[in-house]
Amino acid sequence: MRYYVQRVALAVLLLLAVSMLTFGALNVLGDPLFNILGPVAGDVNNPDSIKMIAVAKREFSLDRPLPVRYFLWLSDFVRGDFGVTFSSTGQPPVSGVISERLPRTVTLVAMAQFFAIFVSIPWALITASRAGKPSDRVSTLNAFFLVAMPNFALAIILKYIFSIRLGWMPLTYVADDPLKSRLWQMILPALTIGLPVAAVYQRLLRTDIITTLQQDFILLARTKGLSRRRILLIHALRPSLFSFITVVGLNTGALIGGSIVSETVFRIPGIGSTLVESVLRNDFPVVLAIVMIVASSFVVINLLVDFAYTLIDPRVRR
Amino acid sequence: MKFSRRRSGRALGVTLASLMVFAVACGGGGSGDDSSGNTDTTEGSSSTEAPTTEPAGEPVAGGTLRVGLEADVDGLNPTASALAVSGLTMAQAVFDPLFTFSADGEVVPYLAESITPNADFTEWTLKLRDGVKFHDGTPLTVDAVIKQFEITRNDPLVGLAVRPYYPETDAVAKIDDLTMVFKPLEPSQFFPSALTAQLGYIASPTWLDALAADPTLEQQPVGTGPFKFDSRTEDSVTKFVRNDDWWGAATMGAPWLDAIEFYPVPDPDSRTELLLNGDLDIIHTTDTNQFETYREDSSLTLSIDDNGEEYFLMINTAKAPFDDVRVRKALALATDRQGYYDLFNAGEGRMADQMFTPDSPYYNPDVVQEGNDPEGAATLVAEYCGENPTAEDGTALCTDGKVNMEYQWSGPSVLATRIADFYNESWKDYFNVTFDEKSQADHIQETALGIYNVVGWRQFGAENPGDDRVWLECRNVGGISLNWPRYCSPERDELIKQIANPTDPAERVSLIQQLVQNIHDSYAYIFMTHSSWAIVNSDKVHGMCDRVSPEGVPLVCSSNGRMYFQSIWLS
Repeated sequence: MRYYVQRVALAVLLLLAVSMLTFGALNVLGDPLFNILGPVAGDVNNPDSIKMIAVAKREFSLDRPLPVRYFLWLSDFVRGDFGVTFSSTGQPPVSGVISERLPRTVTLVAMAQFFAIFVSIPWALITASRAGKPSDRVSTLNAFFLVAMPNFALAIILKYIFSIRLGWMPLTYVADDPLKSRLWQMILPALTIGLPVAAVYQRLLRTDIITTLQQDFILLARTKGLSRRRILLIHALRPSLFSFITVVGLNTGALIGGSIVSETVFRIPGIGSTLVESVLRNDFPVVLAIVMIVASSFVVINLLVDFAYTLIDPRVRR
Repeated sequence: MKFSRRRSGRALGVTLASLMVFAVACGGGGSGDDSSGNTDTTEGSSSTEAPTTEPAGEPVAGGTLRVGLEADVDGLNPTASALAVSGLTMAQAVFDPLFTFSADGEVVPYLAESITPNADFTEWTLKLRDGVKFHDGTPLTVDAVIKQFEITRNDPLVGLAVRPYYPETDAVAKIDDLTMVFKPLEPSQFFPSALTAQLGYIASPTWLDALAADPTLEQQPVGTGPFKFDSRTEDSVTKFVRNDDWWGAATMGAPWLDAIEFYPVPDPDSRTELLLNGDLDIIHTTDTNQFETYREDSSLTLSIDDNGEEYFLMINTAKAPFDDVRVRKALALATDRQGYYDLFNAGEGRMADQMFTPDSPYYNPDVVQEGNDPEGAATLVAEYCGENPTAEDGTALCTDGKVNMEYQWSGPSVLATRIADFYNESWKDYFNVTFDEKSQADHIQETALGIYNVVGWRQFGAENPGDDRVWLECRNVGGISLNWPRYCSPERDELIKQIANPTDPAERVSLIQQLVQNIHDSYAYIFMTHSSWAIVNSDKVHGMCDRVSPEGVPLVCSSNGRMYFQSIWLS
């Protein structure tokens, strides 16, 4: 129990640190008043502007010290209130932006993870069973190519080949289309994120399977005359999945990071592209909310992975 | 009453200049560095390629037009949104302007039935058409126009272009439900052109009331237009559907299209790909590198216009060292204008000497934008630095015999950075240039607040040249300045006043040409190119130029990248 409490406390501390640093950095780097009032915020010799500045400062607590503002924001945040967007043409709630856009990013990341897992496992099994042979070497080359390829370059290549040259896939995402069409439109963006991750998973799993295949119990299985496929799928794969599962969990953060590029290239209005736009617009509350959502997802997933270790191997708790 | 729009090219007067200001800055082409790749051709080449009028047969009702725009909008609220070319294009579908420009450049009534001035042009009596309803069923009365005027005037930013031109009280007065009076501060024979753009797009007063409580409704505009709002996903697609109860159907014909979908695609290459791939039916662009591609594809129709905005370097004349005209002139002389044109314009468009193209009657042939004269720059810089090594506050104005300056642009943009590097190549022997790349919002704010030396900018191009006054007059120099260069010239103001009330058309031409000379002599702008806007459509799009006013007057097909949809049909 103490182990679980410690891990949760560490996770909360980590999130607090992330929120403090992000909040501080965003407020130091720019004046939120400019987002709310536009140039009026700098028109400090005009009595009308001075009045508007004072009203806006009061309304958004910008006249209070930074630590007080942070705690005000934090108390709202933990209650699910992400504040309002800082825009000079109105301040709609951030939660509206997030609730509209987050499902698209979650779908994209889930599809990418799905592709990564279901490409990497058979790929790893095949290459591990043929380790050192020419096909394994070609596979290694391909994996390094995918890992080394920047996301944006892969996105452009996939788009050019499958959408422009072959015309098989749609060029863009249309948020109003039916679900089936939208899922179809997300395949290339998901592959853009998922393929490099699949290559990483494949390298890891291939190595673990090769190690497992050298174990005595595999030798026993072979001597019993079990088929090569059965040995691989039933006896070798399962014990090799321990680090694979860990990395799948840890990689969720990388997938969310990849979604920023993919959403921008394929014009998917998810939280990745929103984050980029909000950073460029200095829309602090939106940036802060997205950073915290991503950080929280990352921390929670890793927490769950930590807990899963204790179920698989209770010695970890010590 | 009709008013001549003598500038050749196309439509859409922009009177609410501040709207355009902020809009220009918010558009994908940028407020600044023409980073979308605007173009010009060599002097004297063709300025406008008109769309071909295709023999397409009888119009067919139905279908959804898919439009590729260079940017999305924050909202579609005529009283507060900064509507640039994309926003104005979307607004054309859902709002109707009080007045609009005819194909031959005259202001003609649209949502308004008429407008009549008093003898000295100080009061204008506007009469609305009867029986018009907004999409939400609210009837159109002058109460809606007055409400919109007051909200716009009180908006801190959009109101900057309205407040200086109206008295604080009694600027508008209601006579009856369909009649009202505008009382601008100063007489102008050309006042109705102010009602052709954003100030003239009348929104439902019911909707405006609801907006006050819920700003998210800005995304769901309610007007009187031929199409009404259906759905919107920001940064993805905005859909309008045909308004079957459109008031104009009886006189102008019902819209043919079932719906219009607007797709913001900021990257011009992607916009082109989507058009070529059949995912879009019509796009606008300033990326001249693509023009030849469009010409080579026989299924596309290309329409180019360079009679609108100009791209120029803009100088803050209120801040040392550029408060000295010698330094401003030196910068102009040092600038490699020809090199800029050759490198960044792909043989399209024209170099600019002033705010008018040679096709315009207002073009002043005596005004030539200086440039490519490094020796001239050297002399002026040496003279200035000899006299002014430091400012009064001790700041170094010159170092090592060169003037210290900053060049600011809106980024991040690879092209804009290349352009900055290019400028520096021609300036570096006389100026110590520091670069300042800002986010678009900061770039606009700092320009409005005068926190800059030199910026790249895109502006001017109003259908009625008098409507560009907002950028030029002393009254618009202030804390937030729409006169961005902060250059005040009483002679210029007097010219602008006279331009609004000429005794005859020839006098107006002469006055505007004097204004062009005055602008040149201020050296607050270094004109580079006339921006080229192209509208490209697939061969299934027809009827763009079939628009007429309620009285049957042919209207412009497109203007400065803006399109109109009332008459478009798909085959």
